Amino acid sequence: MANLTDEIASVLREEISRFQAGIDVREVGRVLEVGDGIARVWGLSGVMAGEMVEFPGGITGLAFNLEENSVGVIILGDYLQVTEGDEVKSTGRLLSVPVGDAVVGRVLDPLGNPLDGKGPVVTDLRRPVETLAPGVAERSPVREPMQTGIKAVDAMTPIGRGQRELIIGDRKTGKTAIGIDAIINQKNSGVKCFYVAVGQKDSSVAVAIDTLRKYGAMDYTTVIVSGASAAAPLQYIAPYSGTAMAEHFMYNGQHALIVYDDLSKQATAYRQLSLLMRRPPGREAYPGDVFYAHSRLLERSAKLSKELGGGSLTSLPIIETLEGEVSAYIPTNVISITDGQIYLQPDLFFAGQRPAMNAGISVSRVGGAAQTKAMKKVAGGLRLDLASFRELEAFAQLGTDLDAATQSRLDRGYRMVELLKQGQYAPMEVVDQVLSIYAGTRGHLDEVKRDEVADWEKGFLTFVRDQMPEVRKRIDESKELDAEGERMLEAAIAEFKRQRAAKAGGGAKPLAAAR
Amino acid sequence: MKRRATDTKHVDIAADRVAKTYAQAIVEAAEAAGCRREVIAELGALAREVMPRVPEAAAVFASPKVPPEEKARIIDRLAKGRLRETSVNSLHVLARHGRLGMLGAVVDAAERLADAREGRRQATFTTALPLDAAEQARIVADTERALSATLVPSFAVDPEIIGGLVVRVGDTIYDQSVATALSRIGGRLHERNIHAIQNGEYSWPT
Repeated sequence: MANLTDEIASVLREEISRFQAGIDVREVGRVLEVGDGIARVWGLSGVMAGEMVEFPGGITGLAFNLEENSVGVIILGDYLQVTEGDEVKSTGRLLSVPVGDAVVGRVLDPLGNPLDGKGPVVTDLRRPVETLAPGVAERSPVREPMQTGIKAVDAMTPIGRGQRELIIGDRKTGKTAIGIDAIINQKNSGVKCFYVAVGQKDSSVAVAIDTLRKYGAMDYTTVIVSGASAAAPLQYIAPYSGTAMAEHFMYNGQHALIVYDDLSKQATAYRQLSLLMRRPPGREAYPGDVFYAHSRLLERSAKLSKELGGGSLTSLPIIETLEGEVSAYIPTNVISITDGQIYLQPDLFFAGQRPAMNAGISVSRVGGAAQTKAMKKVAGGLRLDLASFRELEAFAQLGTDLDAATQSRLDRGYRMVELLKQGQYAPMEVVDQVLSIYAGTRGHLDEVKRDEVADWEKGFLTFVRDQMPEVRKRIDESKELDAEGERMLEAAIAEFKRQRAAKAGGGAKPLAAAR
Repeated sequence: MKRRATDTKHVDIAADRVAKTYAQAIVEAAEAAGCRREVIAELGALAREVMPRVPEAAAVFASPKVPPEEKARIIDRLAKGRLRETSVNSLHVLARHGRLGMLGAVVDAAERLADAREGRRQATFTTALPLDAAEQARIVADTERALSATLVPSFAVDPEIIGGLVVRVGDTIYDQSVATALSRIGGRLHERNIHAIQNGEYSWPT
């Protein structure tokens, strides 16, 4: 005991000897009322909009509303600990979060505090949560592909690095799955990934994190969680702080991908704050600046110019619609902000087409420039063909007599739909996608039974990999499908068909014997 | 951080705003008449010295049951000839709008407004022990020099700051109290040990 007392005394002595008794200057106010994550503060006459303030006990807040006699503050933390009469200090700083390599592989809250029990985030790099998006001169056009590993997406709505591609659909249509698959597919691409979970059930977030960990994606991914039980202010700032962490990599010449899951819940949180702050409600009771809340967020995704290092930030915002209603306020806003959307439909989902992407109204406005030449060549008219197939299919259900041309278009369509089905967490390499889609669009699957398409594809890819790797290598290296490559590919398909037929016809002959 | 004794005055934002509006009108009217300080002083004396001594009068002024005409008659009898015309008129205006009850708040707001117009700032000096007049004068002079501002000082005693001095000018606090210094040392020790524990470098006492 005496030892302990001595030790404590010596620590205290040391601390006191090093203590510099400066004057503590602070601008203060007083809490008048508090509740629902917001506080009204009297005083703080010099505080600026968006400035960080501090409540007793280290709880931070953000000056949100500057009024004639009081300041509306949103509380980022446990607002139940703040009471009337508490002293509020202005800090003269903006809200910032830790960034850099220290956050990679971590699960954090929107303030950058660890939630994964792996100790503190040790870094002195910080970035303000709200920053201005890069301007016109600082950007360059989107050119490089951001492969999601999903055939339907990479072929029909290609995404480029620096693009904003919206994933929109009803609940339970596989929106999150696309985001997670895209993250898993970045494994060897060097792209840093960020998954921002806003207003999600904590159980779903746990599943997502577990999946990422299982597929080795947590090595390059940061998860920012502000679940359904988090206070509205935290849900509101989560996408901005995730973006700040991702931007750090973009401004350092690296590439980053961020998934906002989902922005409708963030808009709801922002609506709650705004209404509590008595800002006037607009359409669907959202405040007038909810468009700006999303546009300033998504504008920060960019492809930087070469002078700035050429880094990029690609974003995949997710919006949940109600009963397929895309003309609601938030969906139309975000559709108009982003560079395209992937529209997922429940009826397609339940019909077994997964990802349940509607080819007709899904678009990518800039990604085409980012597609590899090979992919562009094989998938050229795929989206429009598929869209017209859907129309034709609906029409064909009315009558029975179809002419041969129509029937063959239908058959091709059915096979393409089958071919574009893809399991979850099974991203494909571009070259494999090219091989499959080439076989489909050039009619090599027309003879294959519909329920055997998946099997055919699997067999074909294995065949090419094992027996004719030079085709694969050629396309993979040149990223192009020239006349010679096409000839080799045709030969490979012919050989595979022969072997398959032989196998079906009773006992496969080895390749050498066939030659 | 604990609530300081000097901060516990109740704040009513709505009343504050109303008082400000009347105060501005009164200050401007008095300025036009060339007797700003005098009017504020007269109203201040009425609100702070007369009213507390005659609580019945204050109750009558505040009561909505007494009709405005009755209040006007009382004001005339009470103040006419004794106070300046602007002061009397101000009281009449307050009475007519049923705001006579908030005379104190209006006078406070008027004083703040007049101070702001003359470039003077309210300052509260809090110490653990009462200061004598010489010490007060010296501290005020020093602070005025440091801030290059003219101050309207008021003094408070709060044993909880233990020692040192806390000066509040407007919303800014200049805090050199022993209590704050101690809590800062405490916070620093706390933080350092938490970091040490999280990094696994903490040596647990055995």
